[in-house]
Amino acid sequence: MLTNEYILLLISSLILISIALWKVSENLGLPSLVLFLFVGMLAGSDGLGKIGFDDISITQSIGIVSLIYILFSGGMDTRWKTVRPVVWSAVSLSTSGVILTTLVIGLAVHWLFHFKLIEGLLFGAIISSTDAAAVFSVLRAKGTKLKGKLAPLLELESGSNDPVAIILTVIFLEIIVTNQIEVGKLIFHLFSQFLIGAFLGILLGRAMVYLVNWIRFSYAGLYPVFVMAFAVLVYAVTVTVQGSGMLAVYIAGIVVGNNEFVQKRSLMRYFEGLAILGQIIMFLTFGLLAYPTQIIPVAGIGIIIALILIFVARPLGVFISLAFSEFRLREKIFVSWVGLRGAVPIILATFPLSANLSIGNDIFNIVFFVTITSALLQGWSIPIAAKLFKVSDEERTPVVPPLELNYDVKTKNQLLDFIIPYNSALSGKTLAQLNLPPESLITVICRNEEFLVPTGSSTLEEGDTILVLVNDENSADVKRILNMIKKKV
Amino acid sequence: MKISDILSTDVIEVNLDVKDKDDSLNKIIAIAAKSGKMLDLNKVTETIFEREKLVSTGVGKGFAIPHGKTDSISDTVASFIITKEPIDFDSIDGEPVRFIFLLVGKETLLNTHIKLLSRISRLMNKDEFRDKLLNAKTKEDVLKIFKDEEQNYFDI
Repeated sequence: MLTNEYILLLISSLILISIALWKVSENLGLPSLVLFLFVGMLAGSDGLGKIGFDDISITQSIGIVSLIYILFSGGMDTRWKTVRPVVWSAVSLSTSGVILTTLVIGLAVHWLFHFKLIEGLLFGAIISSTDAAAVFSVLRAKGTKLKGKLAPLLELESGSNDPVAIILTVIFLEIIVTNQIEVGKLIFHLFSQFLIGAFLGILLGRAMVYLVNWIRFSYAGLYPVFVMAFAVLVYAVTVTVQGSGMLAVYIAGIVVGNNEFVQKRSLMRYFEGLAILGQIIMFLTFGLLAYPTQIIPVAGIGIIIALILIFVARPLGVFISLAFSEFRLREKIFVSWVGLRGAVPIILATFPLSANLSIGNDIFNIVFFVTITSALLQGWSIPIAAKLFKVSDEERTPVVPPLELNYDVKTKNQLLDFIIPYNSALSGKTLAQLNLPPESLITVICRNEEFLVPTGSSTLEEGDTILVLVNDENSADVKRILNMIKKKV
Repeated sequence: MKISDILSTDVIEVNLDVKDKDDSLNKIIAIAAKSGKMLDLNKVTETIFEREKLVSTGVGKGFAIPHGKTDSISDTVASFIITKEPIDFDSIDGEPVRFIFLLVGKETLLNTHIKLLSRISRLMNKDEFRDKLLNAKTKEDVLKIFKDEEQNYFDI
């Protein structure tokens, strides 16, 4: 039995290793999830770490909680204004697109690999949802930005297709376990899950905004704790009344992110971190759960399924779902290519395992393999595809925080922070007009809490905060200039 | 972080009796020390007086914002006082001062420090904001005026 300290040491080191590898994955242009999975596998029972972990229910709980925060944070970051024009295209992709993928993959594995039809459909549903985080992590790392409405489309699709995939998986699993098929009930179930999820998402999202504004905690640290608990509550309440919990969480995130409330900025940053932590822990756990020695034997089947998914199922789903949209041919081809699989298929792949299906192990191993293949093959090629299909904007320069300086004690230079007086003669003047002495320099201007990079033609205003580089020789001159005030009339 | 997050009624004084500039600085630093975030009162005092020597922080319109950066604090420290009588603060415009805001930031948090200075300078440049402060009777009033004003501003 492992001691607690050892377990904590292990968990923390694995997380730190994963964070360190983040940069590596960016440089390689790979979605970071691939590396997290590998770290997990390496630490796992077949790898160097020899950690025997096979607890499916813990894995599922970790997966669900992580997914709640990933979707909630994703929703909060979704600008309603930018996604509104693509809502119907995205909904079409995440409903008919997912159903088509499920059908194509289901039929393919039924014919090719002797799965029963219903088992094939279960498999198709499990693998049907895409992960935009994987796509955007690669794009961001390579400094590529997508043109037009593609980014909001992919983002909204991947947020809203997870719930559909989950609903389908649960339904097919139920059919297999109970051995009963009622098509009417199935369709009703699908609709009610969707509608209840959407309704409660909007309602509870509004409630959260109202409560946060109304409560007024005396201690700012309570806000993230409150929202953290509330997000899980949204999921739990919705699932209890037979709605789609993940859809509700995602929609609640959108509602919260598009309303004003106290502490919004710090909350959003907090949830961004939480979502990253969720991703790391989730994929590490998946990696630990997987047995590479069991995955290699299914590699053959896995590759065939991955190819069908990438070249047949996904394009078919995209082209039919977007048939009536305004997207152009090359944009549709690009959307087809970036159908990366991520966390949801792996979480869903544990469902048949915990239901003790005989094909549970096979499904898990194949899904695992297909996810990695899709991430590797499509992941690294996203920037190339974006260029090839002319959907990328000009290269974007990454934003660097404006300043992070410290005094240099060895030189006589120092940075003087100075607020331009309200009736200063300096206001309205350009920096060039100030005639500052040599070797003195205004390094930054902060106006209304925004940093401006000064040039010779920048003008100063009353109340600006500036940082001036001065040394022992010129400080008296600088002081004289800074102290100039308007002549009284 | 907002200005009103760093302030509390512990570090606000209204109608404070001060003799002159040095006296006001010593008093406001002592008041700020009530926050419990000062690790070394002498160091902080030295920093503030040193910065004042370089260029006066009396920015005009009766307002002064003595400030400095030091690692002798555990977190950003602020304090706000309204003096009983206007005092000579060696202000750049020569006008006497009644509002004094002290901001002490950590050396390592330069970005935040500059932004907080910018925020306070922006607030105090608003005539109606200064008028409200002039009419404030209690510390609670002052804190509420800051809170209300900052409601529409982002966190720094």
